[in-house]
Amino acid sequence: MPADSNLEILMTQYQQGDFDAATALIEQLSPQLHRFFLAQLASRADADDLLQETWLRIHKVRHTYRAGEPVLPWFYAIARRVRVDHYRKAIRTVARHQEVDDMSRIATPVVAESGQSGGLTALLAPLSEGEREVIEMLKVEGMSLEEVARARSCTVGSVKQKAHRAYKKLRETMSGAAFRKG
Amino acid sequence: MKDEEIDDVLNEMAKAPQLLKTETLQHLADSVKPSLRPVRPLPPTWVLTGSLVLICAAIALAGAARAGFYGIEKMDLLKRALIFPILLVFALTAGSGFVGEMIPGSRRRIPPSALLSLVIALLAGVFALLFRDYRTSDFFSAGIACLLTGLLFALPAALLAWLVLRRGFAVNPPSAGLVAGTLGGLAGLGMLELHCPNFQAAHVLLWHIALIPLSAAVGAFVAWALRLRSGYSDRARPNGN
Repeated sequence: MPADSNLEILMTQYQQGDFDAATALIEQLSPQLHRFFLAQLASRADADDLLQETWLRIHKVRHTYRAGEPVLPWFYAIARRVRVDHYRKAIRTVARHQEVDDMSRIATPVVAESGQSGGLTALLAPLSEGEREVIEMLKVEGMSLEEVARARSCTVGSVKQKAHRAYKKLRETMSGAAFRKG
Repeated sequence: MKDEEIDDVLNEMAKAPQLLKTETLQHLADSVKPSLRPVRPLPPTWVLTGSLVLICAAIALAGAARAGFYGIEKMDLLKRALIFPILLVFALTAGSGFVGEMIPGSRRRIPPSALLSLVIALLAGVFALLFRDYRTSDFFSAGIACLLTGLLFALPAALLAWLVLRRGFAVNPPSAGLVAGTLGGLAGLGMLELHCPNFQAAHVLLWHIALIPLSAAVGAFVAWALRLRSGYSDRARPNGN
């Protein structure tokens, strides 16, 4: 994960209209944002679309970042909003056309399409949406409890609670898998 | 299985090679290039919060100046010393909460619904202690008049607060609407406390305080409806899919 102070400097330069800083941010943060979308059970194509939509939204609201504030929660908060909007639209469309098959496609992990990240997607699949998000940010991206709380617009206590529940489920799932293998 | 072992598995998965192509990254960079120009960041939280509280205070004072300061004139020193500072503290808390809702990645000290509940519970407690007239004359007619008058000032206050932060970006619009409505409700309540000379406990406890959840509900509903509308208009655009 890129150092946060470096990201802060790049973000400030991006706000000043520096294209190199914008490119550097895109190169440094896109892989983890893409993985964030994949971990939320998005297909590869959906994750690509969501990433593009996220950068457009980030570009539009880049003035809302304030120097000195942590950068990652700002990016992830916007990414979450983009993802929520995307699935709301998808669900409405599916409901309107009453295509039940498509509905299951949205809710089912597309592990085969996700390549290497498919393992992570499959591992996190038994978790609820919120739990997946917390584990992804906390354990995979290495964000702090405070940063995750900021990104999810909730309290640190709520993040801790979700992480605790997620670990409980992961322990059960992984112990079950190990038992079946053994 | 131990937590450390789960951590190890997750760390291994985090190291998995990325799926993004260089062309994709280049495409993303190219897509922001045409509109890349310097932007002015939002002012610090204290400036925005201060502006919101000033707007609410100005609306409450303007409303009371027009309708008459009968309420504050009738109040004793204890009521004045307790009610208005408490309203100010709540306005500062709601203002800072609203700023947080409009800036992605802000620290959230208290969830909007908890803030609303806290404001209602504490105000009800303070009002129950201060107002001891238990008569209920003109309960409905006087109450509805106060509620509507309060709303008449609460909604413009919430709207102005939204306008002050129009450059912000609400990651959860209904939640932001709820806090804006709470802030507007506090402005409306401030106006009522300055103006309304009806000190019957039931009147103050029910009709004055009801203004806050009502205004918060209107704020949340409007924000929810606007998000729904923007979702539909996105879909209507040729590239909105």
